[in-house]
Amino acid sequence: MLWEIWGRHKLSFLGQGIALAASVFLVHWKDNGASQSLGDVLGFVAFVCFIGANCHLLVCFGYVEIDAGRVQFGFPGRLLFKPVSTGRLALVPMLFGGATTVTLFAAWAELVLRHLVSFSASDLLWIISVLLSFFWWMQTLAWSLPSFKCKVFLVLIVAVIHFVVWCIPRMPRSVSPGWQWPILTVLLGFTVPASWIGLKLMRQGTWEGPSRISTLWRHLSRPAARTRRKKFGSPFGAQFWLEMHRQGWLLPGICGGMTFLIFPLILKCFQWAGADTFPPEVMPGMLVLPLMLSVLLTPALARFDSFHSANELPVYIAVRPVTNGGFVMAKLAMALTTSALTWLVTVASACFWLALMEKGALFSKAGLVTPYGTVSYTTGCVPALLLLVIWTWKNLVAGIGAGLTGRPWIAGVSVYLRIVFLSGLVMLFDTARSNVIFREALLHWLPAILAACLTVKLAFSIAAFAWGLRRNAITSCAVGWIFGGWLVCGLFLAGCAGHVCNAINKPHLWIWIALAGFLVLPLADLAIAPLALAWNRHR
Amino acid sequence: MKTPSPSSAEAVVAVTGLSRHFGAKAALNDVTVYIPRGSVLGLVGENGAGKTTLIKHLLGMLKAQAGSVRVFGRDPVADPVGVLGRVGYLSERRDLPAWMRVDEFMRYTQAFYPAWDEQYAGQLLEQFQLDPAQKIKTLSQGQQAKIGLLTSLAHRPELLILDEPSSGLDPVVRRDILEAIIRMVAEEGRTVLFSSHLLDEVERVADYVVMLQRGRVVLNGRTDEVRHDHILAVLAFAEPPETAPVLAGAHAVAGYGSEWRVLFGGSHLELETAATLIGARVVEERTPTLDEILVARAGGKGS
Repeated sequence: MLWEIWGRHKLSFLGQGIALAASVFLVHWKDNGASQSLGDVLGFVAFVCFIGANCHLLVCFGYVEIDAGRVQFGFPGRLLFKPVSTGRLALVPMLFGGATTVTLFAAWAELVLRHLVSFSASDLLWIISVLLSFFWWMQTLAWSLPSFKCKVFLVLIVAVIHFVVWCIPRMPRSVSPGWQWPILTVLLGFTVPASWIGLKLMRQGTWEGPSRISTLWRHLSRPAARTRRKKFGSPFGAQFWLEMHRQGWLLPGICGGMTFLIFPLILKCFQWAGADTFPPEVMPGMLVLPLMLSVLLTPALARFDSFHSANELPVYIAVRPVTNGGFVMAKLAMALTTSALTWLVTVASACFWLALMEKGALFSKAGLVTPYGTVSYTTGCVPALLLLVIWTWKNLVAGIGAGLTGRPWIAGVSVYLRIVFLSGLVMLFDTARSNVIFREALLHWLPAILAACLTVKLAFSIAAFAWGLRRNAITSCAVGWIFGGWLVCGLFLAGCAGHVCNAINKPHLWIWIALAGFLVLPLADLAIAPLALAWNRHR
Repeated sequence: MKTPSPSSAEAVVAVTGLSRHFGAKAALNDVTVYIPRGSVLGLVGENGAGKTTLIKHLLGMLKAQAGSVRVFGRDPVADPVGVLGRVGYLSERRDLPAWMRVDEFMRYTQAFYPAWDEQYAGQLLEQFQLDPAQKIKTLSQGQQAKIGLLTSLAHRPELLILDEPSSGLDPVVRRDILEAIIRMVAEEGRTVLFSSHLLDEVERVADYVVMLQRGRVVLNGRTDEVRHDHILAVLAFAEPPETAPVLAGAHAVAGYGSEWRVLFGGSHLELETAATLIGARVVEERTPTLDEILVARAGGKGS
């Protein structure tokens, strides 16, 4: 099993090794000679590497496979036929996977995390134990409920439970009178028999065929299915429907679930900690969540079927008489819808909990902070919400071209280049903050630099569109929609920037922000997306 | 043997000098195939002979590295909309969206084809005994083949491409339904290309047969002519040869002692002449089946 894990993930282990070495280098740089602000950035990058690497370890050693034919993930079915006892089948990946994951976590913690936050040996032991319990619960859920549809939400609930358990030592003594180890022992102890029973049931074929719930649902929905045969108005409508079904509900579901489940707990934790009012730090956390998750979900968005094991376009999509641009347009529309839905559920969920737990204190406070009253305040929130929707959409579709090529190495290189570019920007601004001469030179040349970048971007996009049109990869109508959308969003950003710049009495900043807005909004990415898909579709 | 060519009829499919390499391996090597309108062409060959690779080129899923591919006179890579709208395709791997219900997959597919015949789709649904509310992932392999077949037929395509359509279908469905459909499609003036391992099926249904071997076309012509251009004969020797006899024009020689079985490519007279030259006489001969020709061509493994 270990040999198989190694064979399957050796390249990503190499990447993990490089990330560890880079993180060690960054934290040493941070500790030796970096300025305060640069040190913060370096520390943040190292921390992100630490989180990413450990999530990757959980995936690698989880011993869970996707079965595209059955649209489920669980224990590798082929191993169930091996002449090995069920106990060994369950225990080997649990013990080896668990031991490897926590050992590597401890190595990361000692080499990287210790330079960022201080913790004692007992703290480390506690977090490793919680991590082991979470890892085993992941395996148990994946193996025991292979075809259960709401597994993602169960995973979310388990993650929340482990988060709360991890917080127990930090809670006031009155709330957690030393229960942490008994609770964790129960959590750990449950997983081994549960995994064993789950695999035994799988071996006996208990999960084969449709479940009782799905049989009942099918029976109930059959009359509706007969009458509900409303045709799609166009191929775009059908493809949009498919995209929404496969990817569209993921981000709203996760964000809605997290704001609905996690934030009340955080608020409760603050109340336990003795805070009498709503801590203002929580609100940005709620707002950042969809933006961060949208970045993480970009690779998933580029896929046409998340359960499809190959990176190629599924045949049932590839043979449809649609241009590559048509497929891309359906994806872009889905990304916009999913962004809007995400903010709808996030704001609704946040408002619900704030109203319930804060008894309206925040809203009344919000009404007071503006001289225009609550209605104007709420109306003013609409452009802000639109900005967040556009930002989330931008995060989702940025790099879509690389993903649509169906070549994982190109998607990897694209992510790497983006990280390098962003790191360069951060270092540039850090230097500008500390070096006055450099800052003045940068400010002097900034409009020209932004204008030049925008010109290059436009020229590249026009060339890509022209190439796409020449190769029938995109229609002129799709080009119009993409370019028009970019222009409208850019003008909207510029309008908002103008309003804000006037409000803060710095109108000279407007042109820079407007240009930066046009630069940040994706156009070149979208222009090459149909060509990238053509490269994938016509190999 | 009369090989179909653009001049023999209007070619719906015209593949000329097509070559394709995957790394060092040549999947297709200088393949030339024409399919006249209204005909049924059977594509046969061993596993890995290049059948699916050729089909993928016709659908624009692979780009020709050398040579040209034209379907309805268009390049399927340059003009996928113009080509794919007139093609129905059943994939060998039954690459279907497992998460969809049968009726959802039909609705989804229907949206792409303005010529979708709802009545015909309903008729096929009934004929195949498929439950519209059932998820595709819960269908058996045969049922998945049926829903794939249904969605490739319901828009009445001008060119129907079936990659191993029999795979997973029981003999009754295969014989009574699949063959009937292929015949009906051809009688309506539409064109069918299907690949199959079941050569008796190809023999019954196909007007033309193309045999691929390691990426090369080794046989290409009308099915009956391909068969009648070969002779399966038993040669008798007065003195039993120590090694297998070398017969000019023979594709495969097998046997032992004084009697050897030969698959010969040529006429009866040519066989008699060639046999006399090596000191043998023909004691038995008949027209071989396609299966016997394929087995012999695939490596001289005739029994």
